[in-house]
Amino acid sequence: MTQTQSSGAFAPTPPQHTNPVTAVVKAGQVVPVLIFFMFTNGIVGATTGSQRPLLGAGAVALVALWLAAQYVSWSRFTFWFDGDGDLRLSSGLFQVSQRRVQLSRLQSVDVTQPLLARIFGLAEVRPEVAGAERRSLVIGYLTLGDAHALRAELLARAAGVRTTAPDTAAPIAPESVLVTVPTPVVLESSLLSPAALVAVVVIVGMTIFAVVSGNPLAVLPVFIAVVAPLAGAIAPFLTFFGFTVADSPDGLRLRFGLTAHQLQTVPPGRVQAVRIQAPVLWRHRGWVRVVINVAGSPDAGEAKDHPRILLPAGPPEVAHLLVQRVLPGLEIQSVPLQPVPRRARWRAPLQWRRLAAGSDSRAFVARHGWLVPTWDAVPHARIQSVRVSQGPWQRRLDLATVHLDSTPGPIKPTAVQRAAGEARVMAAEQAGWAREARRRAPPDRWMQREPGTDEASAP
Amino acid sequence: MVTIRYRTRPLPAGNCVDDRLATLDAVSHVSGSPSVEPLPPTAGRDPFAADPGAPWVRVSPRLATARRMGAVAMALLVGAAGVGVSVAAGGPEWGFLVVLVVLAGLGWVSWVIGRQVRAMGYVERADDLLVVSGVMFRRLVIVPYGRMQLVDVTAGPLDRRFGIAKVQLHTAAATTDAVIAGLPTDQAARLRDHLAALGEQRSAGL
Repeated sequence: MTQTQSSGAFAPTPPQHTNPVTAVVKAGQVVPVLIFFMFTNGIVGATTGSQRPLLGAGAVALVALWLAAQYVSWSRFTFWFDGDGDLRLSSGLFQVSQRRVQLSRLQSVDVTQPLLARIFGLAEVRPEVAGAERRSLVIGYLTLGDAHALRAELLARAAGVRTTAPDTAAPIAPESVLVTVPTPVVLESSLLSPAALVAVVVIVGMTIFAVVSGNPLAVLPVFIAVVAPLAGAIAPFLTFFGFTVADSPDGLRLRFGLTAHQLQTVPPGRVQAVRIQAPVLWRHRGWVRVVINVAGSPDAGEAKDHPRILLPAGPPEVAHLLVQRVLPGLEIQSVPLQPVPRRARWRAPLQWRRLAAGSDSRAFVARHGWLVPTWDAVPHARIQSVRVSQGPWQRRLDLATVHLDSTPGPIKPTAVQRAAGEARVMAAEQAGWAREARRRAPPDRWMQREPGTDEASAP
Repeated sequence: MVTIRYRTRPLPAGNCVDDRLATLDAVSHVSGSPSVEPLPPTAGRDPFAADPGAPWVRVSPRLATARRMGAVAMALLVGAAGVGVSVAAGGPEWGFLVVLVVLAGLGWVSWVIGRQVRAMGYVERADDLLVVSGVMFRRLVIVPYGRMQLVDVTAGPLDRRFGIAKVQLHTAAATTDAVIAGLPTDQAARLRDHLAALGEQRSAGL
């Protein structure tokens, strides 16, 4: 599974601490929460004037205690590289726990800067490793420069580039920008969202109510109802502001974010599945969104602060170009799709016309979705297992669903409502393709490949 | 070390055209005559049928007994609580009614367990393992040997009394969920060793 390097091929490094300011930033993060909690729960309101200083002192003591705890936790956390080229983490106060991270299975490295950390010029590094790790790994905070150096080091070691001299840092691979999503596009795509639609409906409804009742103040109590959808509409803009995709030998680098900033690096051949969405609200613009599955910890795929987006919004050619980078040779449009039988409309009345699935020699593609037409594509070599399922209602209609299991993430490739007889053939075919494709898979340490074989010729 | 060279292609100018989406759609258009390939002769109407020449290996009927015992224990617990409450609140006739309902429920559950256990099966093929289960909600899992990351064998106290064990296969996908329950202990051990050997032989990176 992993390529075993002879011991000592990689230069070990001494244990390192994260930046000491870490404790302050982590403790600082609770302050707004604490203030919000105290005010919203009426704790402040319930106290009289003489009790206020006491309350303030209590809050300060709480924060100080938290700061002390964070300091201790910081002082116990160290990380280093061992002689086998793997990353080691050590933490814990009473019971020291050590983790060994197999870099040959590194899936991606992210450098994230939450707002508060960004003010201090700090960042955290999140290596994602395939396997049974429940929680994602977070190394932070480091100064931005150190974070980038660590990212480069992780990728160099994961690629199998031997670093013999421990003093010289791995060079940061050069990059060339492929795609920048213009700010107007980010803004418009984020405003053309279901959340924004809800916000508009709520605002119009309130205005009408205020006018009809003749008392504009009557809407004040329910005014809070507009906050959530409005925030939902603005959130993608804040997250994906300045979205840039750059190409480097390390893989694709994605950077984005207005307040909190993120830099994600996806090494070559680490993308497990691709999803293209064309929401109906964007139809007049012709924009699509591209989502990817990257193997990592199970919670990483869903996490809000950790989106797996290759393109938040953009024309189909750009989407195609990016998909070509992460999964070379995958032509989603040219995969022949077969529709579902007409009787599927009883089971999927809204989307049955759009349901279709098929495969070519490289990948399996499933199309679905009513208001958001969606194409899910997974290369045969990335399929983990295949399932066929059938519920009682499907059985009556002689239908079945084929699931292709990918690593945990937003994309779960599924061919729904297939004719029952066809489902088994499809499943067997996919398993067969998957077996074939894996025989020609490239090595884990991507820089160690033999000359002459490049990504484009690998399935 | 070989540096990877990417083909560089200029980004297309312009922004957005509706017909590009249309092309994406047109290739896979629903209306029109669908060209469904003829199914191979082995494809029956039932996707959960065994391959010809490779019948399902059924699990031990002792699994049904073990599960029924669990159901009986549950029924005793629920029944005792139900009778206690109903006698205290209504009277002995209510207690009698609760006993009847619990007995009927137990009978139904026991019947369902029998059907479910009879529906479970697996078969080891040359390159993959097939697991089938379910009566109302039926499922078939195909796990290629090269994708297996772990093979778990577990046996609870009740299982051990009946000499059976559960074999579970894990892949890098959390959704794989290939479980074969109710294998006789020696058969489970043999299957585990066989799967582990095959997995080692054919393992592939992610």
